[in-house]
Amino acid sequence: MSGIDAVKKIVETEAQARRIVDEASARAQQIISETREQAERIRQEAIARAQQQREEILSEAKNKAEAEALQSDKETEQILNSYRKLSEERKATAVSKAVDLILNA
Amino acid sequence: MSESLEKLQNRILSDAKHKADETIKDYQAKSQQILEEAKQRAQREFEEIIAKANVEAESIRRSILSSKVRVNRLRILDEKNRIVEDIIHSVEDQLSSISKSEQFEETAQRLVTEAVKAVDTDQPVVRIGFRDMSKRNLDEVSKVLPKGAKLVIDEKPIDNLGGVVATDPKGKVVFNNTFKSRLERLDNQLLTLISSTVFGE
Repeated sequence: MSGIDAVKKIVETEAQARRIVDEASARAQQIISETREQAERIRQEAIARAQQQREEILSEAKNKAEAEALQSDKETEQILNSYRKLSEERKATAVSKAVDLILNA
Repeated sequence: MSESLEKLQNRILSDAKHKADETIKDYQAKSQQILEEAKQRAQREFEEIIAKANVEAESIRRSILSSKVRVNRLRILDEKNRIVEDIIHSVEDQLSSISKSEQFEETAQRLVTEAVKAVDTDQPVVRIGFRDMSKRNLDEVSKVLPKGAKLVIDEKPIDNLGGVVATDPKGKVVFNNTFKSRLERLDNQLLTLISSTVFGE
């Protein structure tokens, strides 16, 4: 083999070596690009899960508060009924005492 | 020559493959790190959203409940006020029709005596006016008036509910002893009395 042929072989081999390195570099960039897409998907999925869970938390809180509000209404109604009953039972006595106060104070 | 060239070629290719492998390996490691960081960031964002949701949920709960509690407290207060007002109306009804009761003479005498004493003059002018007041009623009232007193009879009940107003002769000193005036003077005691009697408070 002549010296020129040997140089040619070396040049070809170098070119082949560069292609191998370039392909690896391109593949690496592709890996990073895919990874970033995957990372963004992970983020979006986490946010979507969180938003769904947020809706559930808010809905549950609203339902619970409305149930407690309903209970408050029931308790209030009981208090109002007891006041009405007390009023019926004690009105005459209260009127009598009040008249007595105005007349005799 | 040919053998060493082949060795050189193999070496060049081997170096290139090694470099390529290293590059891929580096980027795979970098990729893993990116994914790991992304997962951690996603988890943090998730937790932040949930933490905010919990705060928001508590705020919604408090808002609903405090609004309801406020409305219900007002309903209870309104009902108590309604009951007290109803009782005060009954009291006013009884007071305005007192001339029909056996207590009238004694009450009228007491109102006149108090009013005369309050204006503290020898010649008090005493205005008296009750609903359905009779001549017989007035005879009894006259008995408690001092000698120089002047009795003025109103045909209508004074201040709607009836009562007595005494003044000095010039009208400068006035003592209002009508039922309406007594109700106003005794307002606090009256409300306390009614509340304690009806609600036990």
